[in-house]
Amino acid sequence: MKQYVLRRVALAVPTLFLVSIIVFLLLRLMPGDVATRMVEGHAYAPTLAALRHDLGLDRPMHAQYAEWIGNIVLRGDFGRSYWTRQPILDEFVRRFPVTLELALLTILVSVVIGVLVGIVSAARQDSLSDYVGRVLSIFALSVPYFGLAVVVVVLPAIWFRWTPVWTYVPFTVSPAENLKIMLIPALVFGVTRAGPIMRIMRSSLLDVLRQDYIRTAWSKGLSERRIVLRHALKNALIPVISLVGLQMPLYIGGSVIIEAIFRLPGVGLFFFEALGKLDYPVVQSVNLIIAAMVVCLNLLIDLSYAFLDPRIRY
Amino acid sequence: MRRPALLLAVLLLLVSVVPTPADAQQPKRGGVFRIAEREAPSLDPHLSISFLTHSYVSLSYSQLVRFPNGPEQRSPTDFSIVPDLAEKWTISKDGRVYTFQLRRGVRFHNKPPVNAREMTADDVKYSLERFMAKSAFRTRFEPVTGIEVVDRYTVRVTLKEPYAPFLNHLANPSFCAILPREAEDRFKDFNAPEAVIGTGPFVLKSYDKGVRVVFERNPDYFMKGLPYLDGAVIEITPDAAARVAVLRAGKAELPHIWGWLSPEEAKAVQKTNPELSVTPYLIIGLPYISFRVDQPPFNDVRVRRAVSLAIDRKAWNDALLFGEGCVDAGPVPCALKEWKLDAAKMDAAKAKYLVGYDPVEAKRLLAEAGYAKGLTVPMFHWPGYVVPWRSYYELAADNLGKIGITVELKPEEYGKYSSTTMVGKYDKMAMGPSTPFTEVDDFLFGRFAPELPTNLSHVADAELTRMLIAQRREMDPKKRKQIIDDIQRYLADKAYYVYAPQWPQYVAHPQYVKGFLHHDGYGLGMRLLFTWLDK
Repeated sequence: MKQYVLRRVALAVPTLFLVSIIVFLLLRLMPGDVATRMVEGHAYAPTLAALRHDLGLDRPMHAQYAEWIGNIVLRGDFGRSYWTRQPILDEFVRRFPVTLELALLTILVSVVIGVLVGIVSAARQDSLSDYVGRVLSIFALSVPYFGLAVVVVVLPAIWFRWTPVWTYVPFTVSPAENLKIMLIPALVFGVTRAGPIMRIMRSSLLDVLRQDYIRTAWSKGLSERRIVLRHALKNALIPVISLVGLQMPLYIGGSVIIEAIFRLPGVGLFFFEALGKLDYPVVQSVNLIIAAMVVCLNLLIDLSYAFLDPRIRY
Repeated sequence: MRRPALLLAVLLLLVSVVPTPADAQQPKRGGVFRIAEREAPSLDPHLSISFLTHSYVSLSYSQLVRFPNGPEQRSPTDFSIVPDLAEKWTISKDGRVYTFQLRRGVRFHNKPPVNAREMTADDVKYSLERFMAKSAFRTRFEPVTGIEVVDRYTVRVTLKEPYAPFLNHLANPSFCAILPREAEDRFKDFNAPEAVIGTGPFVLKSYDKGVRVVFERNPDYFMKGLPYLDGAVIEITPDAAARVAVLRAGKAELPHIWGWLSPEEAKAVQKTNPELSVTPYLIIGLPYISFRVDQPPFNDVRVRRAVSLAIDRKAWNDALLFGEGCVDAGPVPCALKEWKLDAAKMDAAKAKYLVGYDPVEAKRLLAEAGYAKGLTVPMFHWPGYVVPWRSYYELAADNLGKIGITVELKPEEYGKYSSTTMVGKYDKMAMGPSTPFTEVDDFLFGRFAPELPTNLSHVADAELTRMLIAQRREMDPKKRKQIIDDIQRYLADKAYYVYAPQWPQYVAHPQYVKGFLHHDGYGLGMRLLFTWLDK
């Protein structure tokens, strides 16, 4: 187990190196640069050149990369935003709790809905509740979360002069106010992410329910509730957990739009605005931090299999 | 005796209780004004050219001179000059020396390290010099050769030549906020919320990044009794649909930093929320098609004229702008009424190339220029501009197609667009909107003077350049207007740019918002100075 963890951690290094190179190059491949964006239609040559020099954009690309990655590795310095000139790590740390809370609430909503509907669908296969569950899962899969979010923001404002857009209050200041703000975005995002979980849960549980040990359990005269929840569910959850792990980048990626629509000052919005302004250091550093988190989470999820299924050994 | 006295008492009571029209208009003090808007990229007015930055900090900073606002203004585009920190000023006979007398006793906001120190001539010199050293707008002050402190309350600015746009540029909130040097010494620049220390009507109290910016009334503001509001809050709302939703739900007084809605949004809001005040204003804007007039085929005036005659401006106006747009949109925008020479007042034979629609004549001109079988040209543009821009590009392509010019629409990513097309680096033809400048010089010298990156059509016309320089140097407004009229007459049939109709912007807010008058330009503070809440 220890060896496995060490090997995975060692493998993370080239992964993150590749991520940093790809993001760095992709940004440079995008047309235009941040200096032109900063002076927009007033790009008088002397100012533009001066600005480019000031930002270090007139140096060779490999020198820019080496300085950025070197500062991170050697000093833990993720650089400063070109636009606000504020340290990126400070801003990330300040905003991360918002995105983390949104992601956790979204996972909670999607797992609770997905697992519950999946169980009912599988346990009552081909019944009315199964059909309803399957239709719901297709609906959740096909409705884009950003479209649903706009509908939830706009329609109540037209019909009832009410909208779920509030001024953000941190959880530490007022938990009740905070949850009032976070719940609707998490529901919107969670419902749309629950679709795949419902489907995986259903098919995985159906597989497990057809296995010999479940037949044995039935023959012992156990109740359906006990068979499904105690004997079948734990084994059927493994693919669901894999799916949640795989969806992790989607939870972070999706927060970009959800945060913009619901006025949540999280990392997603920070990244989104930086991308729009071609704020290279912000996009690069935030990407790298999130990539590192995803790598760690995937490792944790892999390790959790051993807990769910004692036959799995590393 | 007792009965008449009683009657009189009742009458007096009634008179004092029943509101009169005069009472209804009496501004009330108090209340906080909420604005839903995107986050400004930074707060330093000299290091950013963003309209969001300038509008945010216009609440806190003053300038030497400013434009009239609220009850002072005659129209939303009244760009006459009124005192701000400068009480009065004189201009030397040769138009080269400006001497500004500052108000006495004006104090900066009571925030460290400035701590309500008095604003003096040193601050003006420091701020103007910082602007000229650091701002991307600094070429506007290129004729300035020296700034001197004559005494504690007098500043002298010397120019190398007479420069008529100078006071307008000084009054524009995008340019010359007067800042205290100590704040830069302490905070390195003026980006930190703590560094926003001005002499303006509102003090920046707190800034929760990504959430809200809170301003409170400056109790020591030099215009006594103003502002009426206790404060203003910018609720950072990145999504456009969410901004309109918070207006509808009564969670904000403005759905945009200036209250703007597009005509389409405004029509929808008027239908669903008749209780809101939604007013159209003709704004400074100018949709244009630009050409590489230094290259074929657009070096031939007949081809450019054919393009102009192919544009059915009236049909555009009716179909896209609910008939509310201005058809005669350039080269001076319709809203700049002081300087605009209407096409109707020009020689009709020339003006037809500015506003006319004649596809038959257009085809004839094309054939005469050697394109009887038509031609194919690209049109570079950024598709991300607000509604109705996308339709504009398509309509232009459709109109030109009808006379035999096949338009290949070339949408560009904003980064590429802003670094190439927007600075004149494109092939053959492009289309887009103009920045809402407040000074007519930007629409003339800026668009037509050789070598400037804002001269998108690459015009190099010696006769025109002579007039462009002359209007800059003419200090008598009447004589300057004559030159500008001559320039507009001269440009009418040149078709260096082809103009499309400009639509109005609607300003939306609840009815209890009073005194908020629209004024074009990048400021907000002065608009809020006279705003009050009737609730």
